Amino acid sequence: MELNWWDIIAIQPMTNILVVMTHYLFNNFGLAIIALTLIVNGAMLPLTLKQVRASKAMQALQPKLAELKKKYGKDKERMAQEQMKLYKESGISPAGCLLPLLIQMPIWIALFQSIMRMLAVIPENLAGLSPYLYSWPVVYSTLPLDNHFLWLNLAVGDIFLALLVGASMWVQQKMIMTPSPDPAQKTQSSLMLWILPIMFAWLTLSFPSGLALFWVTSNLFRIGLQYWIGGWGGLVKSSPPKDTGRDKKYRKRIAEVEQVPSGGADIVPSSAREEDTSYEESGDKRPDSGGGYPKSPRDTKPKSRRGKGHRPKRR
Amino acid sequence: MRTGKKALPVGKISLLLVLLLVGLVLAGCTGIRGSPEGGTGATIADGTIFLSPSLASSGGGFGCSAPATEGKLVALNAETGVQRWEVPLGGAAPSGGFGCASGATPVAVYGSPALFEELVYVAGYNGKVYAINAESGALRWVYPREGNIDSIVSGLVVGLDKLFFGCADGNVYALDAATGDLLWEFATESEEKIWSTPALDGETLYVSSFDKKLYAINANDGTKKWEFEAEGAFASTPLVVDGTLYIGTLDRHFYAIDAANGTEKWKFQAEKWFWTRAVVFEDTVYVGCFDNRVYVLNALTGVEITEFDLESPVRSWPVLAEDKVLIATEAGRVYAIDVASNQLGLFVDLAEKIYAPLTLSEGILYVYTQEHNLHAINADSGMKLWIQTVD
Repeated sequence: MELNWWDIIAIQPMTNILVVMTHYLFNNFGLAIIALTLIVNGAMLPLTLKQVRASKAMQALQPKLAELKKKYGKDKERMAQEQMKLYKESGISPAGCLLPLLIQMPIWIALFQSIMRMLAVIPENLAGLSPYLYSWPVVYSTLPLDNHFLWLNLAVGDIFLALLVGASMWVQQKMIMTPSPDPAQKTQSSLMLWILPIMFAWLTLSFPSGLALFWVTSNLFRIGLQYWIGGWGGLVKSSPPKDTGRDKKYRKRIAEVEQVPSGGADIVPSSAREEDTSYEESGDKRPDSGGGYPKSPRDTKPKSRRGKGHRPKRR
Repeated sequence: MRTGKKALPVGKISLLLVLLLVGLVLAGCTGIRGSPEGGTGATIADGTIFLSPSLASSGGGFGCSAPATEGKLVALNAETGVQRWEVPLGGAAPSGGFGCASGATPVAVYGSPALFEELVYVAGYNGKVYAINAESGALRWVYPREGNIDSIVSGLVVGLDKLFFGCADGNVYALDAATGDLLWEFATESEEKIWSTPALDGETLYVSSFDKKLYAINANDGTKKWEFEAEGAFASTPLVVDGTLYIGTLDRHFYAIDAANGTEKWKFQAEKWFWTRAVVFEDTVYVGCFDNRVYVLNALTGVEITEFDLESPVRSWPVLAEDKVLIATEAGRVYAIDVASNQLGLFVDLAEKIYAPLTLSEGILYVYTQEHNLHAINADSGMKLWIQTVD
C-alpha cells in the first residue's frame, strides 16, 4: 500500500507518536489518547485563544449588526458596506474567527484518523496499519494495542461516553453563546447549541469509544479554556463576572462606550479605539474575561492591525 | 464611499465549517474497514473445493465499508469451478450507522476450511465453529451449541480425532471432531488474542499469540509443554519441519525455534511485520514479509541467501510446487522461485488483491482473491484454467 502525502505528513507521525505514548503510559491506549489530545490542544492554544476571542468579539457585535440590519435591511449593498465599516472600526476581522479553525481542522482530522487506525480490531485493519509504522523498535514491541481502558473497550461504542460527548459539547456551546435580538442569529445559535451535541452524541454511539474519549477530552479542555477566558459565560446567566483588575478597567470602558449614541457603523469614538488597542498591545488578557456580556462591539475588539513593531512595554 | 465589498457571513461560515469538519471526520473512515471481510483459501478433497468467500465491501456510506452478504461455506467442482452447494452461516445486516464500528457481527471466515472424514469445518468471526457434511452440505453440529465464544480468526487443525483452534479470548480449544464436544481448553495467562492457526506435529500443538508467546501444548490433554517469548506479538502460523519451528512475528523477526524445548536457534530481522507462514525446501526457508520482500534463508543458520523485492506486501501463505515456491503478493501477482537456482520469475499476474492462502492440488494452483474470484491455474505452465466468482 502506497502512502499518500497526507498519510506521510499527518497520519504516520501521529500514529507513531500514539504508539510510543501508549508504550510509556503503561501500555494504556486510553491514557495515550487523553495525553495526546491534551498535548495537541496545548500546542494549538494560541490559535484557539485567537479563535475564541475573535468569536466572542463577533458575537458581541451582534446587537449592532441587528441594528444595521433593521436600518439597511432592504438595501443589501449598503448593508454590506456598513457591516464592513463596523468590522473595520471595531478592529474585527471576520477571518480571525475562521482562519484558526481552518488551520486546526487538518490536525484534528489527522488525530481522529490515527486513533481510528490504531483501534485495529479486525485483521484487515491491523494488517493495514503496517505501512504507517516507523522502524522504531518500541513501535514493534508495543503493537497491537490493548483496547481496554477503565470499563471501556475502546474499539466499541459506549452509551455513557456518548452522553458525555453530547453534554460536554452542549456546555461548551452554551458558554460561548450570547443573547441576540436577531431572530436569524437566535436560530443559528439554537442549531449550534442543540443539533451539534445531539448529532455528535449519536455519532459517538456508532464510533469506537476511543474516539469518544478524544472528543470528551477536547471538549473538557475547551470548557476549561473558555472558563479561563470568560468565566461560565452563557451557561450561568446570573453568574457574577470575575472581579479582577482587568474587569474594572473593562467596566469603565463599557461605561464610556455606552455613553456614545449608536445608530450606524460610526458608533465608536476614536478615544475608545485607542484605549482598546492598548489592552491588546499591552499583552494583557482581553478585558472581557469577567464572564459578563459585552454591551458594545467595542468591548471585545481584537488585536489591532495597526502599529506593527510599536508594541508598548507591559505595564 | 461604496466599496462594493460584501461582508462575510461569519456565523454561517462557521456553522458550515463545523459541518464540514463532521463530514471530513466521517470521511476519515475511508480505508478503515468497520466490519470483518474474511475470505479463506480453498481446501480440496475428492474433487471438491471448499471455501468461504470474502464478505463483499459495499461501501457502507461515508467511506466506511460494510458487508453486503452474510457468511457462507461453498462447495465447488474442482475441475470446472461449478458450484455444488452452499451453506449460509447466518449472520446479521451491517449496523447501518454513520460510524465505522459495526453494530452487528457478520459471519466472516478467515481460516481455510478443514476436513475430517465426511465433515468439513469452518470457524466464524462470530465465535462459532460449524461442522457440515461435505457431501450434502447439511449442518452436523455447531460449537458452542448456544451463544458464541469470542471471534475466531484462526484456522482449524484436525488431528488425533480432535479439532483445534485459537480464539480472540486468548484460549485454545480442542473439540471432539465427530461430535463437537469440548475436550479441553488451554487459557493463556494474558488472555490476549490468538489469531494464528495452530500447527500440529505428532502429539504437540504449537500455538502463537498476541501475548508475544509461542506455546507448545500437549494435544491430548491441553497441558503446556513449554513457551517461547518473542519481542513482539505473533500473528502468523508456525511451520514445523524436522524438529524446528519457523515463525515470523510483528517485532519484525523471523525465528527458528527448537520444537523439543522452545529454545531459539536463530532469528532474522526484516523491516516490517511477518504475517504469513513460511515454506521450507531442504535447507532453505522462503518467507514473505510486509516489507514487500520475500527472504530466502539458510534453514540451519538463518543466514540470508537472497531476497526479492516484490513491490507489494506478502500476506497469503505460499506453496511448494515440486521445483518452485509459489508466492503471492497483496497486489495480485504470483511469483515463482526456482528452488534449485533461487531465481525469481513472475508466474501470473491476477491484478486482484490476494490475502487468502494459496492452495495446490494435483498440479493446479487455486487462488481466491478479495474480488471474490477463485482462479484455477496450471501450476507448471501458469496457464489459467478457469475462473469462478464466489461471493
